Amino acid sequence: MFLINCPYCGERDQSEFSAGGEAHIVRPKQPTELSDDQWAEFLFMRKNIKGIQFERWNHAHGCRKWFNIVRDTRNDKIHAVYKMGEKPPIK
Amino acid sequence: MLNYKSSINETKKYSEINMSEFEPVVKINLRGKKRDFITKIGKSLSIIIPTEPNTSSSNENLNILWLSPDEWMLYTNEKVHKLENNYNLEEKLFSEISKVNLGSVTNVSDHWSIINIRGKNTYELLSSGCPFNFNKFKNTKGAVTQTILNHVDVIIHNKDINEINLFVRRSFSKHLWSWMNDSARFL
Repeated sequence: MFLINCPYCGERDQSEFSAGGEAHIVRPKQPTELSDDQWAEFLFMRKNIKGIQFERWNHAHGCRKWFNIVRDTRNDKIHAVYKMGEKPPIK
Repeated sequence: MLNYKSSINETKKYSEINMSEFEPVVKINLRGKKRDFITKIGKSLSIIIPTEPNTSSSNENLNILWLSPDEWMLYTNEKVHKLENNYNLEEKLFSEISKVNLGSVTNVSDHWSIINIRGKNTYELLSSGCPFNFNKFKNTKGAVTQTILNHVDVIIHNKDINEINLFVRRSFSKHLWSWMNDSARFL
């Protein structure tokens, strides 16, 4: 369990949120021109690294807004929280 | 107002806590992003729409709660007649907002039940099933939060010191009401 600082509502418990997987995956511009392998790569393949990961979260039981967080999967430390469409503050 | 049998039809009293249903009132959900939307509502209802997160504003008849950067909940203090289905407020807002594409106006009167809780132990009761930190909320009159209480989605509006209005979806109200009664016995 950890606290997440929602960019709209402030600090809330993790149980109010739902995780939405990896962030910053760009949808291919011409999906029809892709091979099945490339399309599957986009649809299903996600990183699951031990370390700092960029993720999308949704404040499902609060303001119902999506946003991004940078989380360390080793200790659940949150390094940054930023709104959708913004560039990650750290690399 | 739907003609339904409310599961909450009595006032319950426990040590330093009173709970009752805040009888049927009009609740309207407002959504819009344009600046015109905010000024238009402010003018037509003579109330300021709160743009600060987790706040609300009230006048004699109306309360407006911040739910999200583009979503608000409006509710009246005046009760509606249970068998009546006329919502002047909704019609007025609908013609001023929705019809000119400024935003959306949805009548959610039958969607939410409101439970009024007052007494010194109000926050003790909430804290027994809620992950939200009430320390600051307690002392801020008009504060609003959406959170979960015993796994049920609720909106909590701080009406006055040790008095709150708790919004819960009607289909969950019976469950939450019995949980609250059970929990309040042990305070």
